[in-house]
Amino acid sequence: MTRMFLKSKKLLIIKILIIFVLITINFKNFAISSTYSEEQTINITKNLRCLICQGQTIHESNSDFAESMKKYIKSELEDGKTNEEIFSSLVKKYGQWIVYDPGISRNTLLLWSLPLLLFLIGGAIIVKKIFRKI
Amino acid sequence: MIISQLGHYSLIFGLLTSILIFFNSSIQIKKNDAIISDKTTGLIGFQFFFVFISFISLIYSFLISDFSNETVYNNSHTTKPLFYKITGTWGNHEGSLLLWLLVLTGVLLGFIFKSKNEPKKYRLLTTIFHQIIVIGFFVFVLKTSNPFNEIFPVQTEGLGLNPILQDPALGIHPPILYLGYVGTSIIFSAALASMMSNYVNKIWAKNIKFWILFSWIFLTGGILLGSIWAYYELGWGGFWFWDPVENVSLMPWLSLTALLHCIVTLEKRELLKKWTIVLCIITFALSMVGTFLVRSGILNSVHTFANDPSRGIYILTFLLVLILLSFVIFIIFENKSFTQKSEIFIFSKETAVLINNWFILYFLSVVLIGTIYPIFLDVILDEQISVGPPFYNKLILPFLVPFVIFMSIGPSMKWIKTNFRIGIKSLLVIIFTLILSFITVYYIGEKNILILLLFIGFIYLLLKSLDQLRQKTKNFAQIFSHIGFSLLLISILLNSFLSKEIIKNIQVGESFFLKNEKIIFKKIAIEKEKNYESIIGFFEILDEKNKTINLQPEIRIYNEPDMATSEASIKTSLFKDRFITINIIKDQNFFNVRYQHKPFMIWVWISTLIIMLGGLFAIFRKNKEVNI
Repeated sequence: MTRMFLKSKKLLIIKILIIFVLITINFKNFAISSTYSEEQTINITKNLRCLICQGQTIHESNSDFAESMKKYIKSELEDGKTNEEIFSSLVKKYGQWIVYDPGISRNTLLLWSLPLLLFLIGGAIIVKKIFRKI
Repeated sequence: MIISQLGHYSLIFGLLTSILIFFNSSIQIKKNDAIISDKTTGLIGFQFFFVFISFISLIYSFLISDFSNETVYNNSHTTKPLFYKITGTWGNHEGSLLLWLLVLTGVLLGFIFKSKNEPKKYRLLTTIFHQIIVIGFFVFVLKTSNPFNEIFPVQTEGLGLNPILQDPALGIHPPILYLGYVGTSIIFSAALASMMSNYVNKIWAKNIKFWILFSWIFLTGGILLGSIWAYYELGWGGFWFWDPVENVSLMPWLSLTALLHCIVTLEKRELLKKWTIVLCIITFALSMVGTFLVRSGILNSVHTFANDPSRGIYILTFLLVLILLSFVIFIIFENKSFTQKSEIFIFSKETAVLINNWFILYFLSVVLIGTIYPIFLDVILDEQISVGPPFYNKLILPFLVPFVIFMSIGPSMKWIKTNFRIGIKSLLVIIFTLILSFITVYYIGEKNILILLLFIGFIYLLLKSLDQLRQKTKNFAQIFSHIGFSLLLISILLNSFLSKEIIKNIQVGESFFLKNEKIIFKKIAIEKEKNYESIIGFFEILDEKNKTINLQPEIRIYNEPDMATSEASIKTSLFKDRFITINIIKDQNFFNVRYQHKPFMIWVWISTLIIMLGGLFAIFRKNKEVNI
């Protein structure tokens, strides 16, 4: 009886974990839409680093660099470019440093997976601790 | 000049006292006296006194603008107002480390006074471990960051303080933050000492809880002040940007929060001994990591004003030594110190605490890895990446949902074993939560499922915590902190979705609209202050009910150093802040005007205060048997 109960408990935890991983993955796709708006410009500029400032986004900064970037992004959006196209062209030109979203690549695989791995390990330790005696 | 030298010698005397205390305490451990001698207590008092004299000397040097002192010369100016001459003392690398030392020696003195009824061996060992840290920092200050260096020939004028640091909130931010940040050092020393003296038990937990709460409250307050400052001073209306310097204050906070829950479990049930000790060590290690990251200048951020590799290498080596030391002590005393009989049942408060720690440590690992990964990548592969808000949002937000749900249920769990009953009342809370969440999400017009789940979680936590106020045995400390936390999350979420802003380049006399509000640029005026010249814009806002609100943002052009800052003008109301900043556009008559609606801002601050209030309740609750 307890065995059965334990098994279903473990399954439940695994299921919950899978659901959250799925939500995490979905979450990053939701901001993308194709029609151009003022908000979309802000969305993009908020995720770009002002390269000549210290720790400011393009959106926050009033520097010449930031202002010209804002104009550039507006014109790109008017040309019908998508957010992703704009980001990737900027990365090509200025390097990964300019975007605040590190994205998933060979270099950032550990960055994303390490915390999640630690979460799983932590969960395993707790499960072991609670069910040790039974 | 003489006062500055007094400060220097006082520091050297402080270091000498450290060595005396170290040996004096080591000899006493072997003696059979029941209490520690007054000599030791006196020496600890003297040590604090020496650092205090040194600190006062530096403040005095700033006050009289003694430019024979290098630190004063680099960071002050005769035209600066009195208040900023004083706060300038810790607004720089050398002075802030002296402040660090002051708190470090101060908490030991406090500990010695507060621990009078605890075992002698434990108190002495704590003193010894603490002196290792103290000596490390004395040497660091004297060798690499001496605030009393002289310059010759003596200058007649200083270089001035960075204008963005000339602000009341930022003036008191470092002392408050350091009380929390450095306060964790005594937890570290006490944890090692308790392990060595076989004192990891209920009584220890009960006593050390004071210092955990002490650090936690001040750290919370320090972070709050920093955020408020960022909100109105940096000029774009944000209060948290996952900047590395913000992260390093958040990491010990997370770890302290986990520890706070753990220590209660140890106090009530004598469980989780090893884990508690590990958390004590981790917390202080994180404080040191933070000091290293900020003081070494390895980070690229607004706050970094130091840049000298020798400092960074020193702190890093020292940190590694401390970690190694704690590791060795942990291994040696592991089996002696931790006998654990009781087991944990699945439906119990113990499990709730474990789950709390599990999630908090996960959030901590996200912040830690997000902060240091880019540094490693840069050093090893020479590739630069930015890890900003998108990373943290993606890894933290989804996990907040189960976290707050456990946080809602946890407090109603009982120690050892809980029998579940789902009554009508709990069902009502759930139904009410769902209704409120759907209305909120509909109101803000967000179709994302995660946002809905977040609101459900946060509102459920709020209602559940409010519901606990009706219980017979209630714990105000826990309930207040949880209510504050849920309000904080709700306000942050609402704020981020309902914020509106408009940026226009306009001339005097022109106007523009945001939603139904008309913003009129009336006139500009120029005023001259002692340390800056200010261009003030007069704005009139006509809201939907045709009420007028006046806002006066400024541009300040500081004289020393020559730098312009933009001062926001904010009108706060219960439901939203109106926030306006102006900037000059080069060679034109136009001004760049940024006008924002920031809903529920005041609730972000109020809820953090409520969280702190919970901590205060816990400190002043004496000897009453209550749950977490």
